[in-house]
Amino acid sequence: MSSQTQLEEELDLSKFFDNLWVTIVWDDPVNLMNYVTYVFIKLFNFSPEKAHTLMMQVHTEGKAVVASGTREEMERAVQQIHEHGLWATLQRDDHGRV
Amino acid sequence: MGEFKGSSVAGDLTVALSNDELHILINLVEQLLELLGERNFAHHYQSDDPFAQLMAASIGNLESAIDQPEDPVLRRLLPNGYADPESAAEFRKYTESSLRTVKQNHLMYLREQLVFPVDHELPKADIAVTEPTQWLIAINDLRLALAVRLDIKQDSYEQYELMKDNDPQKPLYAVYFWLGGIQESLINHL
Repeated sequence: MSSQTQLEEELDLSKFFDNLWVTIVWDDPVNLMNYVTYVFIKLFNFSPEKAHTLMMQVHTEGKAVVASGTREEMERAVQQIHEHGLWATLQRDDHGRV
Repeated sequence: MGEFKGSSVAGDLTVALSNDELHILINLVEQLLELLGERNFAHHYQSDDPFAQLMAASIGNLESAIDQPEDPVLRRLLPNGYADPESAAEFRKYTESSLRTVKQNHLMYLREQLVFPVDHELPKADIAVTEPTQWLIAINDLRLALAVRLDIKQDSYEQYELMKDNDPQKPLYAVYFWLGGIQESLINHL
């Protein structure tokens, strides 16, 4: 019975997913496109291509997920994004249904 | 008109600003610093004045969450980190003061750089830009603040072009778009 419980615990992936958080950057009419790209490269070490793609996603879709990780990591990311004048929020990852 | 020359990579980045442009920038920086300072009670903790300490203790009660600032400019510069208001207030409790300080530091740095030419006959000051990132973020914050006051939207430039010359708002829009040009020019010289 104990081994059964152990196995169930090992298979309980919900705990793992509960620990996944995402950072979302929201569009605004002020931040310049090349500034947003610059901030993405600076903060997340993205390639210029990836930074540009995410910037375009923010611009055309109104938002984009730019990072995922633990809640603490995402809180730090949000704070850094706010320091650069972009607007971001963090939330629990709901697997693509942002 | 706020053109950058040289490059930050080569270490010879400079910006030429006329006296009028310096006046405008200094004015904006000082106004925003004043606004950002309004809810900052952190300095009272270092104060020797017992009354100031008492006030700081009651106002800046670290046990309670902090509401969003009332001023829409501060709301934009110090935004919520969570969509859910309760988590946002909790997050703000631990982060707002340091976010404010970071923004104040960028603006104070920019303020120090905005020096009129020693020779008053010179039409422009050539200012060495040794910390382009600080310039960039400070100018961006000025644009964000102006944008809130002017209610800037996606099509605001088209509206600005259609404005009559005697429209009292027009000079402010002009400053806003001028700052955008400065920022664009700076990014291109990084």
